[in-house]
This record gives sequence, C-alpha cells and structure tokens, in this order.
Amino acid sequence: MTPSDYVLRDLEVPPPVIDVPDDYLHADQSLWSWFVTTDHKRIGILYLVSITGFFILGSIAAGLVRLSLVVPDGEIFTNDVYNRLFTLHGVIMVWFFLVPSIPNTLGNFLLPLMIGAKDLAFPRLNLLSWYIFMGASLFTVFVMVWGGVDTGWTFYTPLSTQYSNGWVLAAVFGVIMVGFSSILTGLNFVVTTHKLRAPGMTWFRLPLFVWGNYATSLILVLATPVLTIAMILLFVERAFGLAIFDPDHGGDPVLFQHLFWFYSHPVVYVMVLPGMGVMSELVTAFAYKKIFGYKFIAFSSLGIAAIGFFVWGHHMFYNGESPYAGLTFSLMSFIVAVPSAIKVYNWAATIYKGEIRLDTPMLYAMGWIGLFVIGGVTGLMLASTALDGHVHDTYFVVAHFHYIMVGATVVAFLGGIHFWWPKITGRMYSEPWGRVSALLMFIGFNMTFLPQYVLGYLGMPRRYHVYPPAFQPLNVLSSAGAVVLAAAYIFPMVYLIYSLWYGERAGPNPWEAKGLEWTVPSPPPKHNFETIPTVDFEPYDYPNVIPEA
Amino acid sequence: MPPELKQKLRTPIATMLVLLGLLSVNVILGIYFIHGWAWIPEVLITVTMILTVLLVAMEALHEPPLTRLFAFIGFCWVSILLTLTMMDYLTR
Amino acid sequence: MSTTTVGIKLEEQFESEQQQRETAKLGMWTFLATELLLFSGMFISALVIRTLHPDSVTAVALHLKFWIGATNTAVLILSSFCMSVAIESSRLGLQRIMVRAMLLTAALGVLFMCLKGYEYYRDYVEHMTPFLHWRRYELVGDPASRLFTDLYFIITGLHAIHLTIGIGLMLVMSWLASRAGFLQKHQNRIEIVGLYWHFIDLIWMIVFPTLYLLNR
Repeated sequence: MTPSDYVLRDLEVPPPVIDVPDDYLHADQSLWSWFVTTDHKRIGILYLVSITGFFILGSIAAGLVRLSLVVPDGEIFTNDVYNRLFTLHGVIMVWFFLVPSIPNTLGNFLLPLMIGAKDLAFPRLNLLSWYIFMGASLFTVFVMVWGGVDTGWTFYTPLSTQYSNGWVLAAVFGVIMVGFSSILTGLNFVVTTHKLRAPGMTWFRLPLFVWGNYATSLILVLATPVLTIAMILLFVERAFGLAIFDPDHGGDPVLFQHLFWFYSHPVVYVMVLPGMGVMSELVTAFAYKKIFGYKFIAFSSLGIAAIGFFVWGHHMFYNGESPYAGLTFSLMSFIVAVPSAIKVYNWAATIYKGEIRLDTPMLYAMGWIGLFVIGGVTGLMLASTALDGHVHDTYFVVAHFHYIMVGATVVAFLGGIHFWWPKITGRMYSEPWGRVSALLMFIGFNMTFLPQYVLGYLGMPRRYHVYPPAFQPLNVLSSAGAVVLAAAYIFPMVYLIYSLWYGERAGPNPWEAKGLEWTVPSPPPKHNFETIPTVDFEPYDYPNVIPEA
Repeated sequence: MPPELKQKLRTPIATMLVLLGLLSVNVILGIYFIHGWAWIPEVLITVTMILTVLLVAMEALHEPPLTRLFAFIGFCWVSILLTLTMMDYLTR
Repeated sequence: MSTTTVGIKLEEQFESEQQQRETAKLGMWTFLATELLLFSGMFISALVIRTLHPDSVTAVALHLKFWIGATNTAVLILSSFCMSVAIESSRLGLQRIMVRAMLLTAALGVLFMCLKGYEYYRDYVEHMTPFLHWRRYELVGDPASRLFTDLYFIITGLHAIHLTIGIGLMLVMSWLASRAGFLQKHQNRIEIVGLYWHFIDLIWMIVFPTLYLLNR
C-alpha cells in the first residue's frame, strides 16, 4: 500500500456527525443573542428569570413583615420601616410578579405553540415590552428599597399626594411605565389569538389555556390605561400641585379610588384567569380525560373578564361611596362568582372517574382547587355589604386575597412550570422532590393564611404591626407557616435548576398530553413548526370518554 | 392631480365639510345658547362628529367586523366606567 | 406608478399579505382602544368635578379661550383631511403627493400647537394658572374652581403630548416614505400612522365640548 492510498482511504471516511441540537435554546448560545432575541420562547424565559428575581425580593419583604408580626408590640421595625416593607411587598408582588407571572412566561412560551404559529404577531414589540418591564421594575424596586414608599400598593390620595414623605413620585412613575409593558403584551396576545391561528384551529379547538390567556389580555388592554391615567393625575397633583383629588379644594379622593379600582379589581382576574387556563390543561392531562363542558369553561373566562369590570366599587363600600352604588356593586360581585364556580364544577367533573395520575403538576392542581374554593367563598362573604362592614380593612381581607393571589395564581404558576418544564427545557425534574414541594406548598400556605381569617374576624386591622397580645398565638402560627411556605418555594428553585444539567432527557411528550405544543420536539425548534400544522382534531381528545351521569 | 385620486378624494372632502359644518353648529350653540338645554344638541352633534371620524375617516365601515367590534368594545368600556362612576356620584 | 407596485413585505410569522395587513390594523385599533380609555379617565373626572361643583366649573369655562379651542378643532379637521389625502395617494402609489400631504398634515399639527401655546400664554397673562404659586389666581375666592382649571391643563397637556408624538411620527414617516421603493414594501405603515392621526383628531373632538362648550 502506498502512502497515497492511505490518504485516499482517509478522505473517504465521512466526517463525524456531531449531534448539534437545533432547538431554540441552542440555536445561538451567546448572551447577546438573548438580549436581542425576538423569539417568543426566549422572551418567555427572560420574563421567567426576571419575575423569579422579583418574587424572591417580594418574598423577603413579606418574610420581614411576618417576622415583625411575631411580637405584638412592633419592636422589631419602626413604623416607617414596617410601612415601607409592606408597600415594597405589595408593589413588587402585584406589578412585577403576579400580573406578568403566567401570561408573560408560560403565555409567551405557549401561545404560538398552542395555536400553531411561528411566533407572536409582533415579535419586536414583545421584546420591547420586556425591556420596558425591566427598566420600569428595576427603577421602581431601586426607588422603594433606597428611598422607600409607605403608601401601600394602593397609593390612595391624599396620603400619597400630601402626607407621604417617601419617594412616591418615582414609584408612581415606575408603575405608569410598567403599565405600558402590560398593554403591549396584552395587545400582542389579543391580536395573535385572532390572526395567527393555524388552519383548522377554530375557536372551539383552542386549548382552554389560550382562552384564559385571551380573556386576560383583553383585561390588560382595557383596564391598564385607566390605571395609567389615575397614576398620572396623582403624579401631577403631587409634583406640580395640579389638584384634582385634593379635598382642600373640594376635590374627591374617592374619585381616585374609582379610577384605581377600575383597573385594580379586574387585574385580580388578570392574575387568576391564566391560572384557571393552566388548571384546565392539568386536570385533563392527569385525569387522562376529555374536559367536561369545554364551552362553559371557555365562555366563563370571557364572562369573568367582562363582569369583572362591574364590581370594582366593592372596595369602597365604607369609603364614602353611596349606598345605592354599594348595593349594585355588591350584586355584581355575587354574579362574578358564578362563572368561577362553573369552572370549578367542570374540573371536578373532569377528574371524576378519570385515570388519575398524581404527578407533581396534578398535586398542585388539586391544591389549587381547594385553595381557590376557600378564597372564592370568603370573597362572597366580603361582597355582602353588611358583613364587609365588620371585616373590611382587617386581616380577613388580607387572607382572602392571598388565597386568590397566592393560592390560585402562584400555585397554578408552579403547577404550570412543572407541567411544561420538560417542554421548555427538554429535561425532567426529580419527581419525589416535586411532590414534596407541592404538598409543602399546600400545608405551608394554609398554615400561614387560615389563622389570618380568624385574626381578621376577631378584628385585627391590616397594615398595623402593633396589636393586642391576645392575637399573638395566631400571628406566631401564621409566621411559622410562612417558613414552611418559604421551603416550598426554595425546593423547586433548587431541583428545577439542578435538572437543567442533570435531569433526565424528556421526550416530546412525557405526560402523553394532547395539544399542538406536545407534537413538537422538546425543547421546540427555533420556529416551532417546520410547516404550519393543519388542525383536524378536537381539543383534549383523550381516549377516556365522559362517563354517563 | 391624477383623475383617479380626484375620484378617491370625494369621500374625504365630504367628511371634512360635514365635520366643519357640525363644528360651526356647535360653536353657534356655544355662543348664543348659554345654559339651559343646549347641552343636549351639543352632545348629539359631538357624538355625530365622533361617529363620522370613526366610521368614515378611519374607515371602520370598510374594516372587517372584528375591527368594528374592537372599536365598539372600546366605547362600551368607557360607558361602563362612566355609568358606574356616575351611579355613585349621582346617588350620594 | 401604477397600483400594482404598491404592497408590503411579508414577515416570517405571517402566511399571506392580507393576514399581515389585517394583523397590523387590528393591533393599531386595539392600541387606540387603550388610548380612548386613557383619555376617558380624564373626561370622567371632568364630569365628576362638574357634578360636584357646577358653578365653579362654569366660572372657569367662561375664562377659557373658546375661540382658540374652536379654531383648533377646525385646524385638526383640516389636518385629518390631509392625512386622508396621503392615505388615498399611497394606495395609488402616488409617492410625491403622499409625502407632501403628510408634510402638510404635520404643518397643521404644528399650527395647532402654536395656537395652543398662545392659549396657554393668555391663560398665564389672565392669571388662570393656579398651580403657579407665585402668580395670583383670578378665581381665588372659589377654591373648587381650581380643580377644573387644573384638569383643563392636564387634558390639553396630555393631548398636546400625543399630538407632538403624532407630528414626530409624521415627519419621520414622510422622510422614510420619500425613499424609492417604500410603497412597494411598507404601504400599510401609512395607513397605520393615519389611524393614529385621525384618532388624535377624534380625541380633540371630545376635549373641545368637554372643556370649552358644555360648561358655558
């Protein structure tokens, strides 16, 4: 054999095939490519990382509040620091975590995948929305930590315009800016859902998560501008003395509350509707059964979004609102509970006689139903004007809305993250740890907030850190619960991050769930679908049929 | 000016004239009929002007039904805000 | 240029030109709905203040410059007409007429702002600026009148900000649109900007009666 033969033989060997994954995570790995991405999946992850950061900050503030409440005489922090702590907690959790939590992370990631589109309608706008969000939220957090704001997240006038000595102006400016981010995201989702559905993807073939997300986006688009204007009026009144709400000149502070709650009540549905969407996906996948009453759930999402705009006055029953208005708002508040109840019944009927698998996401879903029912029923109590006279501005209200905001939104968020984690990252997490965390969440949450119902009913007002010693045992119990709850948040952060490198590889459909997002590889390729799919199947076409009644 | 453009400009010119006409009626009402019930025709004329801009100048008439629905929803939500807020103030 | 050269460039998330056009328009209409709600918050404040203090509001309204407000309404109606000319000529591919119409639109917007500025100046001279603590306030004996005077400045100010953005958009767009090949790729952008301009006009048609007309 001559040397030239060797060369020839070597040349004939085909070059080794390196298995380079072609998914959205590996398409371009530089950090810069993340900051200029217009890929909805990557923007979803950018949001996930940033809101997790804010969640940690907000939780620390909450932890300090609970720490202060362990002792009845308020010795741990001064009044000023305490006021700033709960304001920090409220502002961060509402605007920088809860509002963007599910829509901007899971919604961003899943909406195009679920409707069979390559991206959102306006990808650059989506990225812009994230930059506005980050700019505004970092600015506001800096302002609130460095300077401090003590008005509570509600910024009620005239406290915020005349008496507060914190950095109210800067914080209000930040809140106005973050509103633009909400509007842009909501607008993007609305238009995408209308215009970018794949052929054959009719409205009644959409996954219910998309319906929930759509209803949420409608609220964001219709409610946020009114918050913006309320905040602008507050801003100019404090900054330039352009009095609008100023009682010294005959202005009415309740007008601010009207404008504020026109946004801030519907925004509760912004927090809970996507969670309800996640629930519909979880119960069907883990009961392995077609959803019960698809159209009822779909339309109840829109019903909640619409009726949710008629109830805001129930925040002002005892703030000088006329009793006639109070009655109307009370009635509407009872009515808005109907569509929520419809959903709960439908999920229960879906689980009934299903092939139930109690994996982590399903455990979260079961916990969700329990917490949401408690939160919802106590909401009805608050909606009646008579009972509200007794418990308004007490810990009863605090417990109620935490059952909705944490019990419904955060639990659904965690359940959704656990459900779609294999799709997002291509890896499975530790199932035993997941189940432990879901259980801890349920126990810790109830331990923290059930005592607060009792405290509120007994008359402990919110936003005070000095209270009669008789309330101490329940407050200590609540604070102890917060520690358990903290563990339930820390565990997932650890094992989910661990799974990124050491988790088992997940196939395209580890849960054997239905829906377009499970037909693409995990993690999905850069443009989601090689060819836009044509949808010729019904949603949730699981083999198990609905049993006859 | 090309003739096809002239053809197309009939509607905008008519719109402009109608709007200016309505505006002058409103101005006359504002000068000569102070107080009293003048606000009723004034509001009606304003609503007509808004509808003219919305439907003709912004071409909502030629848009798909979806777009018209969105414009409609926008005004519906304004009326929710208006009605429920005023319900409070008028019954205090 | 013939009509066949007018069109838009397809972006990757869309399947057809019509889909992209309708999507962009729906996006703009949705945005305008948010703008409507933004302004309506102030209109409702005006109504509430009027309900609470009807006499003070009338006193203020008689100090507002009714004629400047009316003239400005007419100016905006004319500018809207120019915008319509620009949109129609963009559809026909008449680039030069389109650009001129847009520049004229922006010029009318600037005229509006000049009149507005003069109005503010008159307000200053006539002591109708209660928020300036170093100036005497004309209606100082009527504290509730401050609310409506202040609201007048906020509403017109916010409208002026929107109009300034509109003028800026119009200038940038007419610069971009004067380039060769613009109408073949981005014709629909003219229509989108046009919607915004008409909408500012529409808002002013509500502002004028709310502040100047109904309260006299």
